[in-house]
Amino acid sequence: MKDRYLSHDWFPAPIPSNVEFGERCWIYSSYAFLHFRSRQRVGLRMGHDVGVYIGGMFEVGPEGAVEVGDFTALVGPIINTNGTVKIGNYVFIAHEVVIADHFAAVPPDNTVPGWPAGSIVVGDNTWIGARAILLSGARIGEGAIVGAGAVVDFEVEPFTVVAGSPAKVVRRLR
Amino acid sequence: MERADNFTGDWDYSTLPANVRLGRDCFLERKGSFDRYRSERAPGLILGDRVRLYSFTDLNVEPGGTLSIGDDSIVVGAIFMCAQKITIGKRVIISYNVTIADSDFHPTDPAARKLDAIANSPFGDKGLRPYIETSPVEIGDDVWVGIGAIILKGVTIGAGARIGAGAVITHEVPQGAYYVGNPARAVKDDQPARKDDQSE
Repeated sequence: MKDRYLSHDWFPAPIPSNVEFGERCWIYSSYAFLHFRSRQRVGLRMGHDVGVYIGGMFEVGPEGAVEVGDFTALVGPIINTNGTVKIGNYVFIAHEVVIADHFAAVPPDNTVPGWPAGSIVVGDNTWIGARAILLSGARIGEGAIVGAGAVVDFEVEPFTVVAGSPAKVVRRLR
Repeated sequence: MERADNFTGDWDYSTLPANVRLGRDCFLERKGSFDRYRSERAPGLILGDRVRLYSFTDLNVEPGGTLSIGDDSIVVGAIFMCAQKITIGKRVIISYNVTIADSDFHPTDPAARKLDAIANSPFGDKGLRPYIETSPVEIGDDVWVGIGAIILKGVTIGAGARIGAGAVITHEVPQGAYYVGNPARAVKDDQPARKDDQSE
C-alpha cells in the first residue's frame, strides 16, 4: 500500500498502514502516531465522522489494538495500551484525558516487567471530562459521564455520573 | 556537549542549552522540552546514564534552579517547575501529565500577590517580584509516579514508593508506601483508584 499522508500535516511521517478510518474523519497530525507500535493487522480502527484533535496520541504497543466508533470526538486524549481499548459511538473525550493499561504507563518502546496488557471499554454516548484518567478495568456504561479529573478503574453503570479521585457515583441520569 | 543529536527530527528547531550535563545513552525526544529552560546554574540540568525524556516533558527551570534525574529513569510527561532544586533518583518512572514543583511561584498573601501580578505582567519589572518561598523536592530510587499526579514543594518521596494516578502530594511519602487520591492518603494494595473508598 502507498504511504498515506495528511494534506494539512506539518509532521513528516505517514499514517501507519494498519490504521483504518471511515469517511469524514479528521486527524490533526500524524504526530498522533509518534509512539504507535501496534503490530496487529488493524492497530487502530476508527468509524466515520471521528475527530482527533491536538494532543491526541495513540501510544499503542505491539500487541495493542484500539477501536473507535462513529461520530466520536477525541479532543486530545493519550491512549496507551498493549491490550485493547474500545471506544463507542457518539463519545466525547476531553482535553488531557489519559486512557492507559497501567497507572504509571510509559510509551511502548520501553518494556517494564510485570505490566499486563489491559482492557478498557468506553460505551456509546459517554462523556469523559478533562484530565480524567481511565485505567485497566474501566468499563464506562452507555450514556455515563466521568467528571473532570476523576480516576476510574472499575465498572461505571450506564447513565450515571462519577467524579473525584478516587471516583464515586455522584448522580444518576435516569 | 555530547549527544545533542539524539532527537526526533529536523522539524524540532530548539537548541540544547550549554549547562546541561548528559550521561551516556540518554534519549531526549524533543528539544522543545527546553523551551522554558532558563537555568543559569552550572549545571542546571543533570541527566544520569540512559535517562529517557519523552515529548511531553517540560523542563521549566528558573535561573536559580537545578534539576537532576538519576540513571535509567523514564520521564514520560512531567512538567517540572523548578526554582531551586528537584532531585529524581534512579530507575524512577514518571508517567503522563505529571507536575512536579518546588515552589508555588506566587505569594499566598493577597497584597504581595498583587505586587507580583504587576511585576510579572508582560512589560513589568521582574526585579520587583516579592519574595517567593521555595523548598526542594526529592524523589527516591525506584519510585513510580502515576498519570496526572501533582507533587508540590518540600515533598520527599521515599525509595520504592508508588504515587497513584491523579494523586496530589503535599507531604512526605515514606519508603515503599502507596498513596492515592486528592488529598493523597496511603492505601494498602496497589489499586490506584479503589472502589472500597467509595463508601465515604
